[in-house]
Amino acid sequence: MSRKRYSKEKKHRTGEIPTGSFSDIAFLLIIYFLVATTLVKVKSIAADLPSGEKATKSQSDKTPIVNLRGTEIFFNDKKVSVALLNDRLMKLDLAEKEPAKRVIMLESTKGTPYENYYQVLAAISAHQGVVAIVEDDK
Amino acid sequence: MKKRLQSKKRRSVPVPIASMGDIAFLLIIFFMVCSEVSKDKNMAVVLPLSEHVKQVKFVVVARIAVDEKGEIYFDGTRVDNAKDVEWGVRALLTNTISDDQRHVQFKCDSALPKETFEPVIKAIAAAGGIIEAVGELQQ
Repeated sequence: MSRKRYSKEKKHRTGEIPTGSFSDIAFLLIIYFLVATTLVKVKSIAADLPSGEKATKSQSDKTPIVNLRGTEIFFNDKKVSVALLNDRLMKLDLAEKEPAKRVIMLESTKGTPYENYYQVLAAISAHQGVVAIVEDDK
Repeated sequence: MKKRLQSKKRRSVPVPIASMGDIAFLLIIFFMVCSEVSKDKNMAVVLPLSEHVKQVKFVVVARIAVDEKGEIYFDGTRVDNAKDVEWGVRALLTNTISDDQRHVQFKCDSALPKETFEPVIKAIAAAGGIIEAVGELQQ
């Protein structure tokens, strides 16, 4: 009697994992990921700033210099707008010059907002210029 | 004619669905491996505008951000000053072999003054990173 019961119980325990709904679960997960993710396309400008020690003597007087005084932009001591700066940089034809002659010095006064700094940096980089930040005298 | 119709009825083409689960899981794994979790999603930063911005083509080694309060973040973690950024970037760039591996993303609030952001820019440059300054396209 007891033997019969034991054998019957054992037969019922087949222990199969139901995998039929696995694909449904997986597809639901995919849908969740697709709905929940936000695709961010970051836009930027690339600027390779040369690093090094401060020169004791300025390289050359002919090196173009951009001055940022607050919200005003000066190119070789002449006040310019961003559009005009782009025009001046285009005329320099920096892309055709060797890397050492592509240097544009960038000087800024205290309080210059990043917005202006960024626009100048973007303009110089777009015209293949190499930005050299002028250090403040302490 | 009748016979022909009967043969048409018999043709039941079973769609193989046994591997659907595997395909779906492979797709999930693909999405999880390829996606990148944004670390500075909730950062209060108003990006500057420029007509020269382009979509980033390179994989950046580090993400530096300066929020509207002037607090500096290195890969989502707050750091004390620009010197920490320099050391961090320098450490990440020690084993680089090409210029493509030197790109560092820099995000900064457009209203911040020079005293706040310039030391960070200089720190990235001093560590040997190529700055990928994030901005928005000016229409």
